[in-house]
Amino acid sequence: MSQGLDTAPCGYLTYDEKGRILETNGRLRDWLETTSDELKGSHVTQIFSMAGRIVFETSIAPLLTLKGSVDGASLDLRATNGTKIPVLLSAECTGSGSERVTTLVLLQADARRHFERELATARAEAQAELSMKQREGELREQFIAILGHDLRNPLASISSAARMLSSEPLSDRGKEIIRLTQGSVQRMSLLISNVLDFTRNRLGAGIELDLSDGKELEREIRQVVEELRSAHPEREIQLEISKQESVRCDVWRVGQLLSNLLGNALTYGDRAQPIQVVCSTLNDGALELSVRNGGKPIPPSAMERLFDPFVRSTNHDDPRGLGLGLHIASEIAKTHGGSLDVSSNAERTVFTFRLPNR
Amino acid sequence: MSAIEKHNVRTAGSGERVMLFAHGFGCDQTMWRHVAPRFENTFKVATFDYVGAGGSDTSAYDADKYATLEGYAADIVEVGDELGIQGGIFVGHSVSAMIGALAALQRPAMFSKLVMVGPSPRYIDDTDYVGGFSGDDIEDLLVSLKDNPLAWSASMGPAIVGNPDRPEFGEELAESFCKLDPEIAYGFARATFTSDNRADLPKITANTLILQCRDDIIASQQVGEYVRDHIPKSKMVMLDASGHCPNLTAPDQVSAAIRDFV
Repeated sequence: MSQGLDTAPCGYLTYDEKGRILETNGRLRDWLETTSDELKGSHVTQIFSMAGRIVFETSIAPLLTLKGSVDGASLDLRATNGTKIPVLLSAECTGSGSERVTTLVLLQADARRHFERELATARAEAQAELSMKQREGELREQFIAILGHDLRNPLASISSAARMLSSEPLSDRGKEIIRLTQGSVQRMSLLISNVLDFTRNRLGAGIELDLSDGKELEREIRQVVEELRSAHPEREIQLEISKQESVRCDVWRVGQLLSNLLGNALTYGDRAQPIQVVCSTLNDGALELSVRNGGKPIPPSAMERLFDPFVRSTNHDDPRGLGLGLHIASEIAKTHGGSLDVSSNAERTVFTFRLPNR
Repeated sequence: MSAIEKHNVRTAGSGERVMLFAHGFGCDQTMWRHVAPRFENTFKVATFDYVGAGGSDTSAYDADKYATLEGYAADIVEVGDELGIQGGIFVGHSVSAMIGALAALQRPAMFSKLVMVGPSPRYIDDTDYVGGFSGDDIEDLLVSLKDNPLAWSASMGPAIVGNPDRPEFGEELAESFCKLDPEIAYGFARATFTSDNRADLPKITANTLILQCRDDIIASQQVGEYVRDHIPKSKMVMLDASGHCPNLTAPDQVSAAIRDFV
């Protein structure tokens, strides 16, 4: 053996087809605190810890037979005094049958083993944390879905009670109270729809569409605007419909989208300026529905996450709602194969829903 | 999913009787590639991967089920049922020798003959019993597997491409070649090396052949003799081979001994 290999900073060993050690280098013998005579002729597994022997015999030896080489396996040597030495092992076979010789090269791997242990621990912790969070998240969403569902029934009772009362003879003050009640019912109903849609979406069900030829869309838009007008008599909501063609869509969902956009405009727009709703058909038959309001522009920093769930304006003195309205509106647009865009400057903020005619 | 898909069962040959080959800890059905094909002329030959090994469906892994060898034996029974094995021959390497014995106890009609290559009913020494390992040795093994899954998977897992020097190992192996899921390998190691099936041996009614290597540190000759002495209808054949995997290193001898027996 060359002087260089004998003292190289790696262990070197060869063994025959029966596993008997042929040759070792000085470095390996130093590590093992043993002599050439003691090693020569003994079985190669003798240099490993008991755990290392099992790994070697059950995994590395079969691979060597099948594949002819193994790279970077990790196991422990055992020195004569019992000390364990973590090493990385690479091995290669040459020759075949009774001529087969296997060469092992071993590198000390203390630091690497330590690093791997830390990685393994960190991974296990991260996985545990993640699965706990996922379980919690699912429970929370199921809880919200059930809650939303259960809130609908009493709300429907309140709504029909208010409707019945409104046909009774009432004082002016009574009529005003009924109007406010109906406005609240309507807002709450929309909120529940948004929350349910959101959790359904998160639970993987997506937003369901009930597509029709869209002939009822105009009526739906007028009704949504009318309801919000009556709930907010102090605000001016202008409606302009120049629609000619009907577009295939889920009429109720587009109404929900408009309702969400109007809710946003009522909350964040300048109270002194009118809100404009414009519905038109473009030359290519696409539907365009936009909601405009005046007031402070949306800050550029907020634009990026505007349609994400639970995003609410931070520069508004009275943040209201869950921050789901624009998110659901944009999901409804996407599910339809359409788009929801926004432009905002010092003069006006405009949300535009475009639905291609297909 | 059927057990046949779950365990990546491959069948070949046209015989009436079925020979089911089971791999041990540390590898997959590739273990049998030099032996199983030699029986295709006379038997229907089946090989498979335990869950977590080779091309098995790792999503079928259930830590509780596979905490003991009984869980693995239940899979053998499932595979055997789907293949319609009656009076078949079970050939198990290493820990699979005992898994096969457990399956045969669950379904005595399924296998009339058992071949055990390097069997051990218990790896840890006990009073008056030499398994070859101390409890600490096995604990050490489990800790090192647990500590070291990255190195483990890096050394055992990666796909290999065709070996130009040995064209008989073609591209087919690229995806599965003693491939082990490290987490599952850990569970399998625990179930294997902490098992104690000594009490099951006398209950085995099938004719049993034990193939024993010299210098097998996993299952010594003494352990092989213990198995022979405790299974009623059994005999042991010593192979002129060393190590724990004669199915790879001495396939001629293994095949000849099995042929004589069946």
